[in-house]
Amino acid sequence: MDIKNKEFMLIGGLLVVVAGLMAFFPSLSDSDTAVDWISIPLVGFPIIVSCILLAFASQESRARKKIIAVPIRLFTLCASLIPLAISTALFFDWLILVDWDLMYNEFALEKEYVWIESIGVSWHVGMDGLSFPMVWLTSFLVPVTIITTWNEKDGATYHPLLLMMGGALIGVFVSLDLFLFYVFWELTLIPMFFLILKWGGKDRRYAAQKFFIYTFCASVIMLLGLITLYFLQPEGSGSQYGSVTGRTFDMTVLFSNATAYNMGDNVFLGEDMQNILFAMLMLGFLVKLPAVPFHTWLPDAHVQAPTGGSMLLAGVMLKMGAYGMLRLPIAIFPDAVVFYQDIIMAIGLISLVWGAVVCLGQTNLKRMVAYSSVSHMGVILLGIASMQPIGYAAALFMMFAHGIISPMLFAVCGAFKHHYHSMEIGSMRGMAKWSPYLAVYMMFAWMASLGLPLLAGFVAELMVLIAYWPEYGWWILLPGFVLAITAAYYLWSMQRTIFEGGDEGQPPESLNGETPPDITLSENIGMIILAIFTVIFGIFPFIALGMMDQWTVAFFEGVFNSGGI
Amino acid sequence: MSESGIIDYAVLIPLLPMLAFPVILFLGKLFNGTPTWVKNVKEGGIIALTVMGASLILALLVIKEHMHHVGTANIFTWFESSWWNSETGAITTKVFGVGIHIDHLTVMLLFVAAFLCFLINVFSIGYMNTDPINDNRNHRFYAEFVLFCSGMLGMVLADSFLWLFIFWELMGLCSYLLIGFYYERPSASYAAKKAFLTTRVGDVFLVIGLVMLWNLFDGHLDYAYVFNQENIAAVNSGELQIALGMMFIGAVGKSAQFPLHVWLPDAMEGPTPVSALIHAATMVNAGLYLVARMFPFFSGAELGALSTLAIVIACIGGITAVMAALIAFVQMDLKKVLAYSTMSQLAYIFTGLGSALWFANNGYEELAAFAMGASLFHLFNHAMAKGMLFMASGSVIHEMHHAHHEVAHHDDDHHDDHDDHFDAQSMENMGGLASRMPITATAMFVGSMSIIGIPLIGGFWSKEGIIASAWQVALKEPIFLLPALLVLIGAGMTGFYMSRMWFMTFAGKPKTEVAEHVHEQTAWIPIPLVTLTFMTLGAIILAGMHAGHWLGDFDDGHYTNFFDGVGSEMEHVFLNHDPFLMVLTYVAIGLSLVLGPSFAMALYGGSLDKGQKAKPWMQWAINLSAKINKKSKFDNSEWANSSLAESLHKRLHFDDIYDAAVMKIVVGFANLSAIFDSKFIDGAIKAIESTSQNASRRVRALTTGSARDYIMMTALGTLVIFILLWGVA
Repeated sequence: MDIKNKEFMLIGGLLVVVAGLMAFFPSLSDSDTAVDWISIPLVGFPIIVSCILLAFASQESRARKKIIAVPIRLFTLCASLIPLAISTALFFDWLILVDWDLMYNEFALEKEYVWIESIGVSWHVGMDGLSFPMVWLTSFLVPVTIITTWNEKDGATYHPLLLMMGGALIGVFVSLDLFLFYVFWELTLIPMFFLILKWGGKDRRYAAQKFFIYTFCASVIMLLGLITLYFLQPEGSGSQYGSVTGRTFDMTVLFSNATAYNMGDNVFLGEDMQNILFAMLMLGFLVKLPAVPFHTWLPDAHVQAPTGGSMLLAGVMLKMGAYGMLRLPIAIFPDAVVFYQDIIMAIGLISLVWGAVVCLGQTNLKRMVAYSSVSHMGVILLGIASMQPIGYAAALFMMFAHGIISPMLFAVCGAFKHHYHSMEIGSMRGMAKWSPYLAVYMMFAWMASLGLPLLAGFVAELMVLIAYWPEYGWWILLPGFVLAITAAYYLWSMQRTIFEGGDEGQPPESLNGETPPDITLSENIGMIILAIFTVIFGIFPFIALGMMDQWTVAFFEGVFNSGGI
Repeated sequence: MSESGIIDYAVLIPLLPMLAFPVILFLGKLFNGTPTWVKNVKEGGIIALTVMGASLILALLVIKEHMHHVGTANIFTWFESSWWNSETGAITTKVFGVGIHIDHLTVMLLFVAAFLCFLINVFSIGYMNTDPINDNRNHRFYAEFVLFCSGMLGMVLADSFLWLFIFWELMGLCSYLLIGFYYERPSASYAAKKAFLTTRVGDVFLVIGLVMLWNLFDGHLDYAYVFNQENIAAVNSGELQIALGMMFIGAVGKSAQFPLHVWLPDAMEGPTPVSALIHAATMVNAGLYLVARMFPFFSGAELGALSTLAIVIACIGGITAVMAALIAFVQMDLKKVLAYSTMSQLAYIFTGLGSALWFANNGYEELAAFAMGASLFHLFNHAMAKGMLFMASGSVIHEMHHAHHEVAHHDDDHHDDHDDHFDAQSMENMGGLASRMPITATAMFVGSMSIIGIPLIGGFWSKEGIIASAWQVALKEPIFLLPALLVLIGAGMTGFYMSRMWFMTFAGKPKTEVAEHVHEQTAWIPIPLVTLTFMTLGAIILAGMHAGHWLGDFDDGHYTNFFDGVGSEMEHVFLNHDPFLMVLTYVAIGLSLVLGPSFAMALYGGSLDKGQKAKPWMQWAINLSAKINKKSKFDNSEWANSSLAESLHKRLHFDDIYDAAVMKIVVGFANLSAIFDSKFIDGAIKAIESTSQNASRRVRALTTGSARDYIMMTALGTLVIFILLWGVA
């Protein structure tokens, strides 16, 4: 009976070890006395706090757990607000003056501590225009998710897991060391695995395993690529280099090596090796994104996952794939990007079209929304394949906008499931009569997702199309077709849930004749926050887009221009 | 080019209603059902009215300031985008902003939008707040109403094609929400979805057109840059024509033209004020506005390079004009007749614009300005008249409802099921209302005459211009004979279906008991009807003030004084020095004034009940219709039972074909793909999973636990290693 508790203790213990290691790193340079705003406040703190909470909660009896759930979730919420406050403050320069106008391979708030000296692993963190929006997004989504799923059962362990998830995700975005990156990359799987396994739907066991094994297999291929890359780099000496292997996992060193080598007509590691390594790394990221045909884990995971898990999974975890692509393979192997450009475009287009068409054939609301994520992630690939700064900026903005909109989609699905005990489209008609708030949020989220102007998603879609046309011409009709299909499946599902039902409304059978309730206060608060930010970033996209545009310009200057393509 | 002045506050015109949207929604949620909210604030109606009044005043100030000069103002930079040249490695940054642009086109449409939004708001308070079906949800109506107004005003004021599109979509959203206002009716939710999706198909092409235009004009979509004649001349006109053609498809969807017209009649499911505002007077004009905005491209591009597009625009217009008029012949639903009439009249304007664009692109500047002026003037006249007609029809429907409730109340036997059988919108239940609803009947009378083009009233001034322009192009370009002929025939058809509607509703004897009990009794409703009646009758003043010329050419200096103006317009129309045009005018007048209405009178005319008397300005028409009806004994049963009439009833099968195509092809394909996705793509993953599980089961079977097997394996393994070592050595 206590097997689950032991599992929790196991992760708790593991994470404490990680956190402990982190706390005892010696600093590389003694002269640098600036405060480290990333390691502990953004990454370490949420993970350590959640570990302690989990370790504490898992020791209690079932009856006690119900009692301690309230203080624990309050504490978790407060703890999750700290990274949000810090990342917001960093953006507005409230804490310290941060120079976000960075050149390629320059990072703000960079910090480096030696970790495993023998093989050249260091705890190296920093942020730039690529990672900062994602870091802010993650720190924003965690408290919103906690609020939205306030009443989830077993809150004593559920909410700390969400917090841990947030810390691990931020860790992925800030790490500047391949080893560290991979550690956090896999670390994100663990809380998600348990979220699905413990709080999921009927088929949760299958979904959790599929999710874990599928993405893990892909990550292993990526790991092979990373290790090959590690050994193919030139040997060097210095504090970053391993004392035994003579090589380093440090990304900044890798970037400068690659840039220096790519100058002129040279090709870093040779053309064939570039193409092979690029493909290996991309495979890991494409599965995470996910792109068709590697997408089938996503609908299963989403349908079974609890609302909070889905919100973070769709909101941030998918973007890890896009982030990884831009951070590693595209930055290191510019020649391979040109080589694979059309294939990336084709995969993006197939994801976009296939995701949308399959959406139209779904009868399960959450499954439909999951496939719409696949479709939207295709847009990111199109932006990358356009080989224009505007396309890359659009991809970044798509990541960001979808990161705000898709949690709202899943929050709506979750509320629907919670109050109507069904996910079938058409099982409930005339919802507007019973749950006017839920109906409004559903319509808002659906409209945002189908790219209505003045909401966040539109700018990204428009910019991708603008970047796409000069490069691929009339292929643009396919994304255009998808715009119409997207509207079709969203409107069709709204017609059969919000609308219709006659004067009396028609509550679903799953309610057994009870009057359907409207959403709770916490769901209301969570969704309205997401809605407000969708509008803010829709009307004033430049708040986030400015930084992204700067980053893409620096990226093109640093990567493609030095490559001499 | 920014300047200060009233234009700095122009941004408030769309912003005020936009801000009112959440306010009304929130207050409505808060105070729903309280007496103050219902009685004094009219469930948000008064807030909306205040805001629309403020917008109207601001709009009038802006119009007064910018009657004769273009104004622009920047608001903020929306986003920056960078482009990389893969040859040189240079990176250039484009800035894209938000701003306001005011010229004569803006001024005209701004007036139409602000004025009608305000009047229809007045009407709504009378119409919506007195119908018990709307109780406790009118705040939602007013919130969506002001959001729509914000979209329309914003679209008109926007300074770039992109912002035009953004507000265009906002209107599309509000149209969707308001058509589906009675969300519990399956027909309303179906109509809302249909409207959004059909226009969305057009919008997709519009976006692609914008993307192409963005590319052609080097990252600019703002009017100041793209309308610069040098910039236009530098652009490949072949590509420009395709881009503009793509954008035109968007206009076709929004303005409900063939073949994307199917949504408009269904959109009548929305409350009548919505039909009046969105689906007659403002939003459907957005497509026309977009095409009219393209004018500078046509005058700036290579001579004749864009003629094909101009011809296509005119032909789409001509086809729709006749097709919609044909379908209107058989409609029994009062609002549906008006919907098809809207479609048909918008098509006229498209034909006029097509002629103007053709002239502009072929170097006939004066003729282009004339055609443009006529088209835009028709847009103005049509918006005023059609807004009024819809409000009048709303008034009829509203009072029919009331009367029906009264009748049903007296007669308790039918009380239970009265709602299921009675259709308050069907003209078959009306008749003889002219004496019972004098204001409404007058408004409808004047509005119909304006739409028909009865000389000296409203639409006459502009419609003649459109027909004349189309024929003038046809003299130079034979393909143009098609739209030119179609709009000429359409004039007669308009005369028929509009007269049919009026006589069926207001003349003759009441066809049901309900129609006998109708009274004009609702407050607020007559205000906009009277205002617009005078507005429509006053079109002659605008014509005299050379509105047509001014709309076609901003710096027109012909205007000297009013009487000369009217005189020259009269002369221009009735005694044209060009004999061809003069004959054409009289043919058109003959068709629309004599032929169409006479047929309608012969079929549907009749005198009122004994003792009932209509106002004198309508009584003569009723008397005439009764006389013609008696004399002619015209029998149309052969026509009415023909297969043509049947297919007209089915709207020429467009809806059926589209539905079938969508349901069979698209949905069928989608269902197949969903199966393919789970069976094959996911199936492959599951196959890998089960194969590896099977393999591991086999390997596991080797672990037998028997020492004999292990010794055997050890021996075998040693042997293999030995052989391998031996082989290497």
